[in-house]
Amino acid sequence: MADEFAKGFGILMTAGLGWMIIAGWYQTHGFEETQLFGERPSDPGVYAEIALTVGDALFWFAIFGALTFWIVIPAGRKLRAEIESRSA
Amino acid sequence: MTDDTDTTDERTDGGETGIVPPDDETPAWSERKARKQGLSRLTYEYFERARREDQDLRQQSSYVERDVLGFPAWPHEMVRNLALTSFFVGMIIILSATLPPHIDAPANPSSTPEVILPDWYLYWSFGLLKLGFLNPELSLLGGEKLMTDRTYGVLANLVVVGIVAIVPFLNKGSARRPVEQPFWASVGVAGVVFSFTIAVLSIKNLVPIEEGLLNDLTFLLPIVAGFISYAVLKSMREGYMFNLNRRYYRLRPPK
Repeated sequence: MADEFAKGFGILMTAGLGWMIIAGWYQTHGFEETQLFGERPSDPGVYAEIALTVGDALFWFAIFGALTFWIVIPAGRKLRAEIESRSA
Repeated sequence: MTDDTDTTDERTDGGETGIVPPDDETPAWSERKARKQGLSRLTYEYFERARREDQDLRQQSSYVERDVLGFPAWPHEMVRNLALTSFFVGMIIILSATLPPHIDAPANPSSTPEVILPDWYLYWSFGLLKLGFLNPELSLLGGEKLMTDRTYGVLANLVVVGIVAIVPFLNKGSARRPVEQPFWASVGVAGVVFSFTIAVLSIKNLVPIEEGLLNDLTFLLPIVAGFISYAVLKSMREGYMFNLNRRYYRLRPPK
């Protein structure tokens, strides 16, 4: 169980770091303005487009990766153990 | 504790060469079964696991028994320290390379900013200066205040710093974990929460809470947090192994 926590936490932190860096570049226009969730650049070049896509992917990977290891996998194991204990 | 066996190759400070905790520290099965309920059970399982891991570590270890089991600085501690150091250096390099900090225009020394605030770690002291609502208007003085609000705020700082200075004299800090002294642990929790609420009070014009309510919350939340942590720690005590600490403190085990 502790291992699953560490896996989810590792995903949350590393993917979150990557997302934070990209969002800091492209979606933060100033210190006083909205940070990390600011407006997307209206006419991004190819590289900015790639970076924004990677950033979005990292954002959702951070959330769903952590949820998978913290909730889905443990719940699946509980479910399987329950089913086996009932059929036995 | 038989000293006459196996003393040929390794001489130890006390006990046998096999690194095993004394039997009286291992809880009996009846003791294990006695602790069945929620939080105390959880506490018990947590410390039992720690104890078991410690026991396994001692049994696997090839080191001669010392009174406290430790590992040599090289390579064990150094490898860990180098790993931690390179991690943090790497984080600094990555962040400074990829997210260079925003640098504002230089401050204009001839104009005063609208909001004047100290650094965030001094908000608590700044909040104590805003305790004017506690400064009583004395009817003896015809509704006058004994001292101005700012004098009152400075005195409040003295009171808080005085309490922080006195606490170590009231409690010598022999507890190794909060469970051992729930009262003092909850005093600490209340203090931490108060340092937070008083910091929030210092920026009350930015907080979307009505002022009277905020004033009350500043002093009520620490008390509530203290009571809750006292209750939690008190219910954890049942599952706590108080003799766990003997292993760390004992310098020479009794023969």
